[in-house]
Amino acid sequence: MNSPVLRVDDLHVWFDLPHGQELHAVQGVSLELAAGERFGLVGESGCGKTTTILALMGLLPSSASVSGAVELDGYDLLADGEESMRPHRWKDIAMVFQGAMNALNPVQTVGAQVVEPMAFHGIADGDEAKVRAGELLEMVGIGADRADRYPHEFSGGMRQRAAIAMALACEPKVLLADEPTTALDVMVQAQILELLTGLSEDLGLTLVFVTHDIPVIAELCDRAAVMYAGEIVEEGPVDALYHEPLHPYTRLLFGAIPDPLGEKDVISIPGAPPRLDREIVGCPFNPRCDVAFERCVDQRPKLLQLGDRRRAACHRNDPASEAAS
Amino acid sequence: MRGIDFVLKRTLFALITIFVAVTLNFVLFRALPGDAISNMSKVPGASPALRAELTQEFGLDRSKWSQYWIYLRELSTGNLGVSYSNQEPVTTELSRAVMNTIPMVLLGTLFSIVFGTITGVLAAWKRRTVVDYGSVSTALIFYSLPTHWLGLMLLLLTAGILPRGGREDEFLFNPTFMEHMIDIGKHMLLPSLTLGLVLYGQYTLVTRSAMLETLGEDFILTARAKGLPDRRIVRRHAFRNAMLPVITLVALSLGYIVAGSILIETVFSWPGVGLLVSRSVERRDWPVLQGAFLILTISVVLCNYVADLLYFRLDPRITT
Amino acid sequence: MSTALEQEPGVVAESSQRRLLKAVWELLKDRPSAVVGAAVLGLLVLLAIFAPLVAPHGIHDKIGEPFGSPSSYGPLGLDDGGTDVLSLLIWGARISLTVGFAASLVAILIGGTVGILAGYFGGATDSTLMRITDYFLAIPDVPLMIVVAAIWGPSLSHIVLVIGLLLWTSTARIVRAQVKSVRERVYVKRARALGAGSGRIIFRHVLPQVAPLLVANTVLTIAVAIFDETALAFLGLSDPSKISWGKMIRNATDSAAISAGAWWAIVPPGVCVAFVILACTLIGQAMEDALNPRLRVAHLAARGFRLRPRMLGDDL
Repeated sequence: MNSPVLRVDDLHVWFDLPHGQELHAVQGVSLELAAGERFGLVGESGCGKTTTILALMGLLPSSASVSGAVELDGYDLLADGEESMRPHRWKDIAMVFQGAMNALNPVQTVGAQVVEPMAFHGIADGDEAKVRAGELLEMVGIGADRADRYPHEFSGGMRQRAAIAMALACEPKVLLADEPTTALDVMVQAQILELLTGLSEDLGLTLVFVTHDIPVIAELCDRAAVMYAGEIVEEGPVDALYHEPLHPYTRLLFGAIPDPLGEKDVISIPGAPPRLDREIVGCPFNPRCDVAFERCVDQRPKLLQLGDRRRAACHRNDPASEAAS
Repeated sequence: MRGIDFVLKRTLFALITIFVAVTLNFVLFRALPGDAISNMSKVPGASPALRAELTQEFGLDRSKWSQYWIYLRELSTGNLGVSYSNQEPVTTELSRAVMNTIPMVLLGTLFSIVFGTITGVLAAWKRRTVVDYGSVSTALIFYSLPTHWLGLMLLLLTAGILPRGGREDEFLFNPTFMEHMIDIGKHMLLPSLTLGLVLYGQYTLVTRSAMLETLGEDFILTARAKGLPDRRIVRRHAFRNAMLPVITLVALSLGYIVAGSILIETVFSWPGVGLLVSRSVERRDWPVLQGAFLILTISVVLCNYVADLLYFRLDPRITT
Repeated sequence: MSTALEQEPGVVAESSQRRLLKAVWELLKDRPSAVVGAAVLGLLVLLAIFAPLVAPHGIHDKIGEPFGSPSSYGPLGLDDGGTDVLSLLIWGARISLTVGFAASLVAILIGGTVGILAGYFGGATDSTLMRITDYFLAIPDVPLMIVVAAIWGPSLSHIVLVIGLLLWTSTARIVRAQVKSVRERVYVKRARALGAGSGRIIFRHVLPQVAPLLVANTVLTIAVAIFDETALAFLGLSDPSKISWGKMIRNATDSAAISAGAWWAIVPPGVCVAFVILACTLIGQAMEDALNPRLRVAHLAARGFRLRPRMLGDDL
């Protein structure tokens, strides 16, 4: 892989809980993303996907503590917390939020909201910015003449398109998308996905796509990471995750996809993810795992590099434990 | 055009409410069993001629229905009857009082809106800090103090520094216009401040909670993601959205302003509508009380109407 | 419907009462401001109940010269009639709190009934009742109270009625909204499907659900009612034979306590009123917060997230 655009190293996020407790939401995530790559981040809800990408932009509430590094072109955005992050927001990393219904300010026109970051980051000003905003709206399939409309006058799909246009305003290198198609109907979902694919190809955007919807990842992404209990348990090309999963969770998760022919029932994984407000002993997936053995109960597996482009955190891949099974 | 329905609906509601108030005014004073004024012409110390004239004018010897009809007719020409205590037309007395009340109430309300909004926004922004705790407790205290008692306390504290009551110093000899205005201003300061402080507490609390609500909205997160500094997010994104509920709540507090002005004008003998209310209660001067009640109600309804239209202007989402 | 209610009225009343108390306690126990408010209110209620035992003097006992100062006569000095201010304050608590509690009871009864009927039956009942509520809400209540109190003449029961009759509107709206949502819950729908009458459903299923909200609203209404009593008393519209905190403020003003510099005749009753209003507001708000939690995280706060040093021990 050529030198990464975005490198995340040992990222941890904790949230304060009442009575002095803590919730360890992200437990040491490391990632490397190449330019123009489309990367998926999947897992059940509550596994830390959203927290991870919010941390990439430093958009965490004051109850959060963070450690680790988020490097963009070799520069550590997290070095000084929010302050070192702020100048790079939107200019280098932008984001499309879950449910664009509420991501747009209801009392400002859509155009004004696309113009705002351009003007603020010194990309374009005045009429020039307005023209550019019109172009961006055209690019996502909204007529430039609708820039002076308010968000409530748009349909859900159009609002999401407008949010994407807004995210592209400062020509970011990395675009984070947090479940951008939930709450949209299937037709519109497909259109938005197509739009994102096209944009990343045309503009050379690095796209990080967060979802619990596996088929979406299959359609859109080159590579993906599976998160469980705040950590990455497996990472690799999407094809490989599908056909030769190295972690039982990946196997069950990707197996849970409804069969296109509708012959098999949807499989859901029995049990629930572990609580993150106490320390996890052993493999976090072990209580739900169908192939667990003694070592899984008291020893936490490390994320091992397996071959050229794959990593997984399961004792079964460790040659040392081969004998035990 | 956007929201012509909305404007029509609100206008209709305001008109009907005024009509209800006008009718209520009649029912309360003249139609309730055991009402205090079975005869409007019982003006103490009035000449038989005036009595006859009033009886004639208001049809007091006729049925309640035709009295109501006459009442409406007279009202539409601005005739509210004659004060028992000084035989002046109520309308004259009222218009003089209104001119005194308006600047006093405006000054106090303006003070509270400006400072209440600022502290409310700051408290929400700096939530769970000393700024927040400090402004919330101050606001709660002012909110809890009985209005007239706060006025009395201010009198106690400023004894000898500011005038104790009234509108102007009657012994000021031949004042220039400026001197006269400054004198009135000095007299107005305490009443306005009392009203301002009482409302300040309320507006701070209201703005704070509206602001907290807004800061939890997703578009605030978007604004932060855009890399905007906090100040700009508060000014450009949070403030205007938070002001929408505040407008409604300020409009709802109008009744509170009216109540406050009655008490405050009584404490400071500020010759406005409020003082007229308390004086007419003391003297059982029904025509004046009736007129003052009508004026207060209509102004509250009209202010509510204006607030509705303002809300409509500021919130593009309203269509009906 | 009537048979079902008659069968076990005692049982229902007792268990639901205890449940309500428990629910209220659950709401309050984790909120220090509410506990402080409850303590203040409780103390004042106890003082009012045990006034004959606690008050050092009677309200007609002349124990010294007018406006006798606190230094020479007791903790709070004397009023214009030479009566002990502390005793007046304790006896006054009886009247003020009675007016506050009774008037808010009237308001809650009316507001609760209107709200439940409008919310439960919906349709024309709802729109008619809410239209009436809207008009009542639009007319400023204190001037209306003044007018009615002035026409009826001053007496304690009139004051209670006047205040109660005009304070029900906000309760009606809040209760209506809550009832509307309760109505759609599964067990209510099931009860209706099983043929339970409206009355039974309202008393057995809807009322217990809205009861905590009603209690919160009552507490907030007490504050307003006591404020209103003080205001009416200040305008000379209270019962002349009864001494309340509002009446004390009025008396002190009439007798020019301020120019006499007798702050002790005028400060204490106002402080008492303020304490009650503050206590009720704290309790009521805490309860409303607990019932309607807004768990939203503010996306903007005074300080950002914290940074922790990298974890070097690599055993994860």
